[in-house]
Order: sequence, then C-alpha cells, then structure tokens
Amino acid sequence: MNRFVLPLLAGLLAGTALAGPAFAAKDLVVGLPDNITTLDPADINDTLSQSASRTMLQGLFGFDKDMKLVPLLAESFTVNDTATEYTYRLRKNVTFHDGTPFNAQAVKTNFDRLANPANRLKRQSLLAMLAETVVVDDYTITLKLAQPFGALNNNLAHPGAMIHSPKALETYGKEIGRHPVGTGPYKFVSWEADTLKVEKNDKYWKPGLPKIDHVTLKSVPENGSRIAMLQTNEAQFIYPLPSEMVKMVEANNQLELIDAPSIVARYVALNTMKKPFNDPRVRQALNYAIDKNAYAKVVYRGYAGPLDSAIPSKLGFHVTQPNQYTYDLAKAKALLAEAGYPNGFEAEMFGRNSTNFIRGMQFVQQQLSQIGVKLTVTPLESGVETARIWSVEKPEDATVQMNYSGWSASTGDADWGLRPLLWGKGFPPKFYNVAYYKNDTVDTAIEAGIATADDAKRAEAYRVAQEQIWKDAPWIFLGVENLLAGKSKKLTGFYYVADGGLQMEEADLQ
Amino acid sequence: MTTTDATGVAAAATHEAVRSPLREFWRKFRRNRTAMAAGFCLLALVLAAAAAPWIAPFDPAAFDYDRILEGPSAGHWAGTDAYGRDILSRILWGARISLSVGLLSVLLGGGAGVALGLIAGFRGGWIDSLIMRVCDVLLAFPGILLAIGIVAVLGPGVENVIYGVAIFSVPVFARLVRGSTLSLKRAVYVDAARAIGVRDRLLMVRHILPGTLPSVIVYVSMRIGTSILTAASLSFIGLGAQPPSPEWGAMLADGRSYIGVASHVTFYPGLAIFLTVLAFNLLGDGLRDALDPKLR
Repeated sequence: MNRFVLPLLAGLLAGTALAGPAFAAKDLVVGLPDNITTLDPADINDTLSQSASRTMLQGLFGFDKDMKLVPLLAESFTVNDTATEYTYRLRKNVTFHDGTPFNAQAVKTNFDRLANPANRLKRQSLLAMLAETVVVDDYTITLKLAQPFGALNNNLAHPGAMIHSPKALETYGKEIGRHPVGTGPYKFVSWEADTLKVEKNDKYWKPGLPKIDHVTLKSVPENGSRIAMLQTNEAQFIYPLPSEMVKMVEANNQLELIDAPSIVARYVALNTMKKPFNDPRVRQALNYAIDKNAYAKVVYRGYAGPLDSAIPSKLGFHVTQPNQYTYDLAKAKALLAEAGYPNGFEAEMFGRNSTNFIRGMQFVQQQLSQIGVKLTVTPLESGVETARIWSVEKPEDATVQMNYSGWSASTGDADWGLRPLLWGKGFPPKFYNVAYYKNDTVDTAIEAGIATADDAKRAEAYRVAQEQIWKDAPWIFLGVENLLAGKSKKLTGFYYVADGGLQMEEADLQ
Repeated sequence: MTTTDATGVAAAATHEAVRSPLREFWRKFRRNRTAMAAGFCLLALVLAAAAAPWIAPFDPAAFDYDRILEGPSAGHWAGTDAYGRDILSRILWGARISLSVGLLSVLLGGGAGVALGLIAGFRGGWIDSLIMRVCDVLLAFPGILLAIGIVAVLGPGVENVIYGVAIFSVPVFARLVRGSTLSLKRAVYVDAARAIGVRDRLLMVRHILPGTLPSVIVYVSMRIGTSILTAASLSFIGLGAQPPSPEWGAMLADGRSYIGVASHVTFYPGLAIFLTVLAFNLLGDGLRDALDPKLR
C-alpha cells in the first residue's frame, strides 16, 4: 500500500506546485463580518463594501491611516473665495487596470455619472451640489458648484467618489458593480457570494507597491469562526473583533490586537420637540446622570473613549468642550427638580435590535433609573426603524422620544458629522436629525462652515456650532467606540482606519 | 349485558371501597422514585419563585459596574452578568416568568384544545373535519416556527409569547381529546346516560370529559416543559421578554457574547431551563405510568 501512496503524494504535490502560483507568492486572507453588496462605490452604503472596492479603485483624494486627507489621483487644487469653483491638477502617467489612461475626461465621466440624480446612485449626495465639470486640459479639471461647498475635497476623498475606468463604465453599464476597473493597487479577479479575490497590479503608479500577490476577502458572519480563522492562520486579519473576544487574541503570541479610536459617535438623540425633552435642563440632567467611564466599561469592555463634543475627536474641526457633563447624580436630580420633574418621568427609547445596541440601551436604562427616569427599551428591527423614525414626514407625527444611535461621518469632516444630525433643516425624512433640534446659531454656523473652503473660517464656524450644541444637549453624549481587529504579527502595513475602512496598499507578509 | 356489568361494578365498589381512583393513582405514583423527585424539584422551584422577593439575595435589576462578569463566589453564588447583576437572583425572579408563561400558555392552549377536541369527537361530521383539518395545518408547522410567526404578527413581549405558545399547543390537545372522545362516546355508560335523556352538552362535560382527563393531565405536565423551552427560545431570539427582564431565554441571549470569557453567565440560566424542562418531562412520565388505564 505504502508503495502506491508515496508516488501518488509526490505527484499530487508536483501537480499543485505546477498548477498553483509560485511558492513565494504572498497571499493575504481577510475575514469580514458581512457579504460585500456591490463593487461600484458610487452605489455603496456600507463601509465593508467600500473597503473592498478601495483595494481596486481610487479617488482624487483619500485618507491616510490617521484619517488625514491626502491627495491620490489629484496632485494639487485651487479654489475660489466663495467655494463654488474648484480646479484640480491631476496625476500623470496613471493607467487603469484595463490600460485606459487616467485623465480629466475620465474624471468628468465619473463625476457626471455620480452627480446625475437620474442614475439613482446611493452616493449622489456627495456631488449633489455639482453644476458643471469642465475639462481644461488632459490633466486639469474644474468643478463648478451650484452653491458654495467648503468640504468638497473631503467629499471627493469619500470612497463613493472613486474613479472607474471610463471604458469599463461604457462596456459594463449598470453591471459595473460586478466588474470594477480602477487605478488601485489590486486588480479584480473574481467575486462570488462571500468571497472577493483581487491580485497585484504590476503597473501601480506608486513604485514598489503593492507587495502582496493575492488578497482574498472572505465574509464569515459568525464571530467565533472568524476568530478561529485567525488562530489557525487561515486568515491574517479579521474585523470587527467583539470586545469580549479580545482576550482570545491577546492570549496568542502569533496575533496582535488592533485597538484605535474610531469616528463612530454613540449617543441617545432626545426629541427636543416633545415633553419633557423640550426643556434643556432635562436634557442636561440626563447627561449628568450617565457615567461615561462605566459606559465604556460595560458596553465596550473598556474599548471606547468619551464623546467630548457633538463630533468625535478624529473628525476635522473637532473642539473638546471645556464644560464636560461629568457624572453627578445630585446635580442631575437638582436639574430635573428645577425643570419640574422632581420624581423623574417615564419615557420610551428606540434603538436597533442588535446585541450591542441592546446592551447600550440597557445601560442607559439602568443609569437613568437612578434619577427616577423609567425607560422602556424598544429594540426595533431595521424595517420597523425606517418606518417609525426615518420615514416620518412631519415632526409633529414623530413618535420617537429617545433614539439610541451611532453615526460615522465617513467624509472625515465636521460638516457630515453635524449637518445630517443637528441641522434645523435636516429633520427626517430629508436627513437624520431625529432630535428635531433647531437652533439658529447652530444652523447659521453649519451653513457658514460649508460656504467656504477657508479652513480658519470653517474652524470658527464649527467651534461655535459645537459649543452651542453642547450647551443645548439635544443628545445624551455617550462615547466613541474603538476599532478592534485582530491580525497576524506577520502582516505589516495593513491599516484599519478610523472610519472603519481597511487600507491594504502597503500591506506585506513577513 | 348491561345488568351484569352494573352488578360487577357495584360489587367491586363494595369489596374494595378503599381503592378510589385518586388513592390508586397516588399508590402507583409514589412508587415511581424519579417522578417523585421531579415533583419535589418542581414544588421547590414553585416555592422559590413565589418567595423570590424574600429569598433572592439581590434585586434582579441592581447593577454594580465594579463587579461585572465575576464568576461564582460566596457573595454571588452564580456569579454576575455583564452589568454586575446577581445571576442567582435573576434566575429566581426569572422562574416566576418562565413558570407562569409555561403554565398559562398550556392552560390556555389546553383549555381551547380540549374544548375543540370534545366538540370534534362528539359531533363528528363536517365540524369534526373542519376542526381536525385546521389542526392538521397547524401541526404541519414545526412548533417553534409557528410560535415565531404568531409572535412576529402580534409583536414582541411576554404576553404575546403566551398566546403564541398557547396557539401552537391547541392542535395537540384537540387531537388527543378527540381520540379519547371517539372511544368514550361509544362506551356503555355514555349510551346509558343518553338513554335516560341526558342532554348532549351535559353528556360531553359530565360523562366524557372526565374520561379524557388522565391523558390530558399527563400531556399538560409534559407540555409545560415544551412551552417553557419555546418561550425561552423566543426570548433568546429577541421576540419574547424584553430587557431588562430576567427571563431565562433572555438571560441566555444576554450572556451569549461572553460564552468564551464568562461561561457562567449562560451556564446557570441554561441549567435552570434544562432542569425545569427535565423535571416536567419526568413528572409527566410518572403521571402517565400512574394514570394510564392500559398499564393498570
């Protein structure tokens, strides 16, 4: 028997060696929590699919690993004083994976497609203010805007504004989401239900990169299985890592924990149009009644930081507020009594029905019970949530009293952290201002912030807005969760950015 | 024929007057040690649940963020959960919910099922067909799926879980009672009652219903176990008791994320569900052995 097995094995091995890639090939496997929905970033709503498409596509701008804005396909830009006309100098000698040269015409084709509401792309809002794109020469393009918009570069850095090969757009039309062709470090190979495969782009414009030959993104929804993949080196990077599983990664000396602040703000929006939340003293009282350290400890096992302003500290123009709502039950009770609720009140809190949301809601419920506020927690399934909260047409029809939420402003800019959530003109269904918060000072500041590209003026506007919001407390400010991921120590240059996106351009396996 | 039988019964009654059905049942049941043990366990559980406010060492909702996810200790016999709440106290309080959900849903479902089964069996004809076909449809669903469907329609909450589980118990009882009714309705004593002009309704309630009771009682005890399990499952998937309720299934769901680091959070509520359901099933077995006329 043995006489047969050995040659057979040898033959098999030789066969694999011949058929498969060379032994020195560097193959990276990444474990994801969900399936990729599409690979057309202009039509993507989830961070995970954005990360996937970012391996292949790039925009004029991007974010570095610290969430700082960096030019990618743009080299430089100029903007007029009113922030209505931007001119970009584009990078030369860049080609798409299909050989098409990258130039101003390619940018125009992409931006016109994204901005056109008729195309019904999910990320149309990024360029909704675009009036005209003018090709000045092969490597210069001017964007004319219908109204001033000071954060345009941040919008262009959003994955939604990444550039497809114009030839691919023409060839595949609506099917572009299955055939992404970009200028990025990796080229598309295949995409099945739960697995995306990409390979090294030999002609990448950054010299020496990428270093990995093949990257496989595999969706493994079950937390335990994902950890197991990492432990057995079947995957070299997995995310997210549930905080309660951190110990399992720490216990393994082949593995490394990634723990960094995110830009995901956690808060409870208080419907400021409804009693008793229409009284700022009540809202402040609720803020004083929450122990933020305990929140981080109980809900995120300590892997969370404070939300010390209306936006997380990793967003542009964030200002730490000097008068923090430090945990003080006596003060909270006094404020409630002053507002006419010495014995507290009853209220209902909505939120998603996922484990983490429910845990957070239970925590808030427990904390507020200490000042006599009795909360009913109602976890909502996402369809019900949309109907009950986001599709309500008139503020007076809103049934929401309190909503436990999270927000990740993926443009990395204060504007997208404030305008959709706290702008007086952003009530549902237009945006997500579920606190129904309207304050003239804040509205003026938010509008001023977006009306200029002058950083000093924008900083001042957002300082004013944040200060006023903090004082008015339309939210219970809870915290900013940390990004947690597990990675093999052999993997370097692979970044998990604050917006929850993955960057693998510089990745290497030792 | 009729005369002989009547004399026989009368004779037995005079000679063995001490052997009343209840006494007979007790004599048999007492000998079944397992069932007795299960019965005592359940009795203890019921007492503990009733006395929860006095015997639980902590308030089930009292949190202590300095003692989260602590293992069993002298202070907290079953450890603490993710909010530092005492798990033993929560299990005791949760026993009230689980037991009452189990009992109420079976009584509701059993009551309706018995009534329907009696009518179907006694009346026969199209009423029988109608009731039985509807029951067949309900029985065709896997139990938990039907309960999920019902609760999904009614909305989450303990009350709706009771209705959901009750509805899915109805066909089982209906079918059981219909079977006994069919055989009892041809029994001689029923014929006799009918012959002396007893009305149908009285006939059903007085003469047939008592005859079906032994099998119903057996089934009730077994079914309570199933109902507790179903209710816990519904709470586990978020359709039943809502936080911060210490319902056992909800406690399991709560602790599930910590199973790798603090397994006691899921172990003790799981153990409580396991033991309770086991006890009900063993009790049911014992009852059947003692009540089943065929085994006499």
